[in-house]
Amino acid sequence: MHRIATLLFALGLGVLLLGLAAQLPLGATPMAIGNEILARAPGEIGAANIVTSVVLAYRGIDTLGELAILFAAATAAGLVLGHAGSRSRNGEAGFILRTGSDLLFPLLLTVGFYIVLHGHLTPGGGFQGGVVLAAAFFASFLARPSHRPGHGVISLIEGLAGAAFIGIGLAALAGGGAFLQPLLDRGMLGELVSAGSLPLLYLAVGLKVGAELAGLLAQLAE
Amino acid sequence: MNALVLPVVLPLLTAFLLQPAGRLSAALARWAGPAVLLVCAGLLVQIALLTGGEPVTAAIGGFAPPVGIVFYADALALLMAIAVPVSALLLWPRAEAGEAGVRQSALMLLLVGSGTGMALSGDLFNLYVFYELLTVASFGLASATGTGRAYVATVRYVLVSGFGSLIALAGIALLYAQTGSLNLAQLADLAPERLANPLGLAAFACLLIGFGVKAELFPVNNWVPDLYACAGKPISALLAGVVSKLAVLVLLRLTVLVFDSPEAREMLMVLGLAGLVTGELAAWRARDLPRLLAYSSIGQLGLLFVALSLPGPAGLAAALAVALHHLLVKPALFMLAERWHGSLDKLAGAGRASPLAAGLFTLFALSLVGVPPLPGFWAKLLVLLELARGAGPFDLTALALVLAVTVVEAHYLFRLVGILYSPGEFRDRHSPRALAVAGLGGAVLVAAMLTLPAVSDALAGLASQAADTAAYRTLTLGGGL
Amino acid sequence: MDMTFAPDPLALLVIGALGLIVVGAAGLAFGRHLFRLVLALGLAEAGANLLLVIAGYRWDAVAPILTGSAPAAMVDPVPQALVLTAIVIGVGVQALAVALLVRVKLAYGTLDLAELKALVERDIRAAAGIGEPDSAQAPATLPGPAGLIGERP
Repeated sequence: MHRIATLLFALGLGVLLLGLAAQLPLGATPMAIGNEILARAPGEIGAANIVTSVVLAYRGIDTLGELAILFAAATAAGLVLGHAGSRSRNGEAGFILRTGSDLLFPLLLTVGFYIVLHGHLTPGGGFQGGVVLAAAFFASFLARPSHRPGHGVISLIEGLAGAAFIGIGLAALAGGGAFLQPLLDRGMLGELVSAGSLPLLYLAVGLKVGAELAGLLAQLAE
Repeated sequence: MNALVLPVVLPLLTAFLLQPAGRLSAALARWAGPAVLLVCAGLLVQIALLTGGEPVTAAIGGFAPPVGIVFYADALALLMAIAVPVSALLLWPRAEAGEAGVRQSALMLLLVGSGTGMALSGDLFNLYVFYELLTVASFGLASATGTGRAYVATVRYVLVSGFGSLIALAGIALLYAQTGSLNLAQLADLAPERLANPLGLAAFACLLIGFGVKAELFPVNNWVPDLYACAGKPISALLAGVVSKLAVLVLLRLTVLVFDSPEAREMLMVLGLAGLVTGELAAWRARDLPRLLAYSSIGQLGLLFVALSLPGPAGLAAALAVALHHLLVKPALFMLAERWHGSLDKLAGAGRASPLAAGLFTLFALSLVGVPPLPGFWAKLLVLLELARGAGPFDLTALALVLAVTVVEAHYLFRLVGILYSPGEFRDRHSPRALAVAGLGGAVLVAAMLTLPAVSDALAGLASQAADTAAYRTLTLGGGL
Repeated sequence: MDMTFAPDPLALLVIGALGLIVVGAAGLAFGRHLFRLVLALGLAEAGANLLLVIAGYRWDAVAPILTGSAPAAMVDPVPQALVLTAIVIGVGVQALAVALLVRVKLAYGTLDLAELKALVERDIRAAAGIGEPDSAQAPATLPGPAGLIGERP
């Protein structure tokens, strides 16, 4: 009975949605703002990756909100889990896991920072790179549960990186512009040092995301 | 008016830095939050005074809309934006020692920043982001009492909210596929041509369900009773008071600007009536005070959606009257419930134990039911008059239902007042702050009653400004920076 | 465009996205275990994200990244940025949901929805000082789906 009800519900909803979707202008999107961004972004922002221009410049405050959401989730999870987690898993992992994580750690760190710093040129950026950074710390935490990075360090990186993002935005405001208006020289399209303040913003995002996810994972693992 | 962004950004900045600051000094971490909220409220009041209620915009990042995100502040947006830090200050969580307290303060700050953003933003996806931030911050605050039932109630709240947001996201996708824009003013321009079809209506339904979760709209309100019964009373007051009104404000902008069609209005009215009837009937059956208040909140927000479905500035004025009345009365009632926790039967004698609290409760109850000189009466009357003016079979059914439900509402609220004043032994929980907040609400209510002509003029002004879609579009799209 | 006669890859993607939403919604409406509900939410969210990406797709266009080669038509960059935001939001919510589940499990020893409902109801009543519900006054429970969406207050 239960299964039949589920099936009927799913079928009904599916048919309804399909009927609607059949009317969508698939593959020929209107691009009311998309075209304008594609035309303006290279000259105005100077980032080869136009998605990054959208994420950090045209819709920069969305990204700030997104950072704040991750921060809110980590803070709320910290509040929920509290200090109840007993430190039961003090034992070190086996030799293979420890050596493996030691080998991986510098590699993951390099890849993570590479992805963060090239976010304005290639696919990737602060969020993706930040996750890789978090994975580097989490791998070493799994191998050596007793050596977890202190909560104070994590919250310090988190706080300062978030403040740096807002600070860059406020600097533009203080200089007579609008909040999060692009600063610095745009440079040559496609160079590593280009796109003004965008790589700095992405660095802040990467550090914040990395610290937050590492903290969250460590809290859940305890 | 680039400073418009400050009341949104400053709370976020403070929240980010609160935990490191807490390691330096506990007092700093404790007082930074309320201090920043005061600054934000002051800034918003100053902006309101500077503009004199005339709408202003701020292009974030200096990118002229519709390409960039725009903040739009008319009198209504500023009023709601000011209500956020003020409510948060009045309902600030009781100071807890150590890390838990710092985390709660940080979440409150995030909630205020995002709430202010929701009041001001004029970009659909930006509204969604702020709405999500507000939601996630409220998850943490709702579970902060640390009881098992609070966790379960919060999980339920998380799941319903998560469902709502993914539906809203699908709605945004549908909207974007048809218009290629997210700016509310540009969407308003494109709507007659691109959104007057079943797909447009489906997008509206999706957004209605998504933003309706916080507005306690009928099909997605089943998280409300348990959460308000299990979470701390200040956070319940905050959610039922200002947070639900912010979600309503978003839906108001959407209906006025983008989805101004009879079908969309019918949808609002049907869901509103369903919420009204189910909420009030459930409140009538409730046996404990927090859940009674939660169900009655669902009912009143149902009435608000019925009012929102009424066309024109007059309908909007009725909706604003109901919304502002609820914004004032419900948090005050929740704060009183903090004193009178528990079963209705055990409240006998509470009137004698704390005459002031019982008096305030009676005042609010009378206003909610709609007894003549009180503001609640005028709010309800506006809705009923507009329904009568519409005079379609739909409107008249709604009119009859609203009247019938008022009888139910009167029955359970007066029964409760009767219990309060019946003889009995009652031991009051001493909570001066709760009484102060409720007293403040009562004072504002009485002041609104005494200056009724001025209040109704102001409401009509707010409504006609919010209904002026042409002004919104020219200012946002034509004005540039 | 008629999808029944044009089995193009984009239509398949749309069907996939809608399928994910439908499966997730069904799981949310009828699931009986909290962890499964969280998983169902994740599935449906993936569907919504996919739908958003498809909303910006354009035939014969390349990714919106400038390379040295000749400029070609590009897809809409905005939905890609939106989806990045939406994914991160989803991750945050799911992590928090799992943290809450850990606490629920610690408090009640179960994640079964029906059991939890009864336990919480008992708790709320105990806190409010109301005795066990007797049959006359117990709130009527409607027969129907057990999940979160199907249930009315």
